[in-house]
Amino acid sequence: MPQLGNLALAIALILAVYSIVANIYGTRRNAPDFVVSARHAIWAMCAMVTIAVVVLWTALLRSDFSLEYVAAYSSTTLPTVYKFTSLWGGQQGSLLFWTWLLSIFTSIAAFQNRRRNPEIAPYALAVLAGVAIFFLLMLNFVTRPFDLLATVPAEGSDLNPLLQNYWMAIHPPSLYTGYVSATVPFAFGAAALITGKLDDGWIRSTRRWAIFSWFFLTLGNMFGARWAYEVLGWGGYWAWDPVENAAFMPWLVMTAYLHSVMIQERKDMLKVWNLSLIGLAFGLTLFGTFITRSGVISSVHSFTQSGLGPYFLSFLITVTLAYTALLIFRSKQLRSPAEFESYLSREAAFLFNNLMLVGIAFAVFWGTIFPVLSEAVRGVKITVGPPFFNRVNGPLALGLVFLMGIGPLIAWRRTTTSNLVRSFAAPVAIGVATGIVAAAAGIRQWYVLTAFSLAAFVLGTVLVEFRRGMNARRHLVSEPRAKALVNLVAKNNRRYGGYIIHIGTIVAFVGIVGSSFFRTEVKKSVHAGESFTIGSYTLRFQGLEQTDTPHLESATALVEVLRPDGREITVMSPAKVFFKRPQQPATKVAIRSTPASDLYVVLAGIDDSGQTATFEVFLTPLVFWLWAGGLMMVLGTVVVMWPNVRERAAIATALSRQSTNARELADAAGGD
Amino acid sequence: MRIRPRFFIGVGLIALAISYLIFSSIRTTSEYYLTVTEVAARQSELGGQSIRVAGRVKPGNIGWDPNSLTLKFEIAPIPDIDASGAPVRPVVASDPVSFRVISAGEPKPDMFAPGRDVIVEGKLGPDGAIAATQVMTSCPSKYKPKQAQ
Repeated sequence: MPQLGNLALAIALILAVYSIVANIYGTRRNAPDFVVSARHAIWAMCAMVTIAVVVLWTALLRSDFSLEYVAAYSSTTLPTVYKFTSLWGGQQGSLLFWTWLLSIFTSIAAFQNRRRNPEIAPYALAVLAGVAIFFLLMLNFVTRPFDLLATVPAEGSDLNPLLQNYWMAIHPPSLYTGYVSATVPFAFGAAALITGKLDDGWIRSTRRWAIFSWFFLTLGNMFGARWAYEVLGWGGYWAWDPVENAAFMPWLVMTAYLHSVMIQERKDMLKVWNLSLIGLAFGLTLFGTFITRSGVISSVHSFTQSGLGPYFLSFLITVTLAYTALLIFRSKQLRSPAEFESYLSREAAFLFNNLMLVGIAFAVFWGTIFPVLSEAVRGVKITVGPPFFNRVNGPLALGLVFLMGIGPLIAWRRTTTSNLVRSFAAPVAIGVATGIVAAAAGIRQWYVLTAFSLAAFVLGTVLVEFRRGMNARRHLVSEPRAKALVNLVAKNNRRYGGYIIHIGTIVAFVGIVGSSFFRTEVKKSVHAGESFTIGSYTLRFQGLEQTDTPHLESATALVEVLRPDGREITVMSPAKVFFKRPQQPATKVAIRSTPASDLYVVLAGIDDSGQTATFEVFLTPLVFWLWAGGLMMVLGTVVVMWPNVRERAAIATALSRQSTNARELADAAGGD
Repeated sequence: MRIRPRFFIGVGLIALAISYLIFSSIRTTSEYYLTVTEVAARQSELGGQSIRVAGRVKPGNIGWDPNSLTLKFEIAPIPDIDASGAPVRPVVASDPVSFRVISAGEPKPDMFAPGRDVIVEGKLGPDGAIAATQVMTSCPSKYKPKQAQ
């Protein structure tokens, strides 16, 4: 079986090389047969990588410890679902998984473009195959998933218990999907540069891919934060660790890209900027893998430090140089005839929103690589921790939220003063009122007051937009309000889905601000029967329950939670678990979540007698809204991605500019 | 209509503001990230400064008082790694270069154990002990197959 995996990966590599040659030769020499065969080669490559994945999955499920990978990341006692997720539990497997996703997405892109974009698609597919070649070279020669062990152990060393968690089962695939799907718009951007077809065709053809990528990056970051919150037991969800930053930076850049392409589609401006952003987004996905795999930047998540770093760095540098050279080569054709006319215009708001997002990404990047830079320049490693990231990104986030309120309501090109007053009077009033109420409620931190006011202002602007749209509909067709709302969103899903994402972002922002500024913490050692208080809650430690199974040993504390009037609300049971193989303790946090605040109880330690326990308890206001906001962002993105008849028509119109073949048109419009 | 230069002013101002934020924040929040060996070499100049030290927990002499949440241990240099990725030698109780670490008021990290790699954040006192505000154990998200055998 393992030989089958190796063979499949070798054939996949050959097919990837062939598809590049055939795509370029076929397009250059006007030999469509070669382009078709290149497409088939891509599909065959995908089939080969799929075989390799199935082989590895089979080995994991059958606990075939003759494979080094299986012996290292699985065991006979590992629950089946985690045998499945062990595919991305280790380096070789996660690279294989990455390559698999890439080959699937490349195949889908090849299918979508079998009649569309005849000029740039072959080059885009060649770029995608080029990226696949890099990963296949790694899998074939550098970090081989099907290497065998000389002596077969009777038992594997198991997956890290911290990773045996459902969030960890879904977080890596989400993040990888987001990372890898960003390659498709990048490839089309590169193809536009190579061919000189620099209109917005490449953006339109890959708009869905970009949103798809953003969707999964959002999910991946949210799942990761949720995992940290539930599993790591320090009461927080984000620590600005290099590994987290590596996932956050592509998200920021993709967010900027999704906004700035709207300006190109509308105003034919910012061509260089958009091409640079998508290049940057792709580069950051490679950079993320580089820093987590190279050990160059020390992280609390110490992944296996492997020899992969130099390969990824070389690939990253090659891609960056080639892409920059293309941008410079095409710079004359990329000049835009249109110009910004006024600060009071939507394009200006979008431009500044882009600056903020890229600014945050840059600050995060700088803080992440600062230890390496300082060591190179000054000979000593200087690190910056969460205080740095919070200090820089706090004010930038406020600016971003402010622009989020301005952007959607302000007119393209320029806005008159009367227009401004009409659009913003109500939202500004809502914002100011919220600030006053918050101050009256005893909040004194200027940052929190500003943040809450701005958040209310943005929600106000979105409400104004929804009301406007509904009134316009009800003016044309008489509908009940609810129906008008549904139709409004359904008929303009791109726009109103975007607003739903904005609402979600604001809700999450409020959750982040509230949980960062108002978290309280109590650490206490108590005997059974004793109690202590946090906020308005009284916690009474009732005692420990011990269990012992072949897989693990655990001690669970029973903690009664009482209200000020003495009524019991609930019993929480934080636990300490000791896994037997590998021998490793872990903490099971107990969380009681309400919209107002989360009560987060950690059993930090127990003494040998079992009578005294040490608790670390956090009371975190509003953190609930971070997850609620994340959910709304996800729902909004689904609305945006929902297939829309009008958009198909727009794609058809755009295509008619490129091609005159009516049959192709019909196929493309129907096959999206 | 030549409004373009005005835009460059706006863009420039924002870029400048962001750069200033980054620059000033780095100055106020940075701390030295050192290995145990480096701390030993620069001990005289580090007194009272915030530092982050990467090292390995030395076996023996580890004290944990759950009532006061006080953890005391010694931190030794992380041994070099040979070509195959295996450590050249284990950390032993008699390592010559090591620092006493005292962490008060924080729970003991789950993964804390003799021989584990830790990152200690705190200040180096005049007595040569590190008063830790935080002890982080590296989480081995991925096991190394060779060590697992």
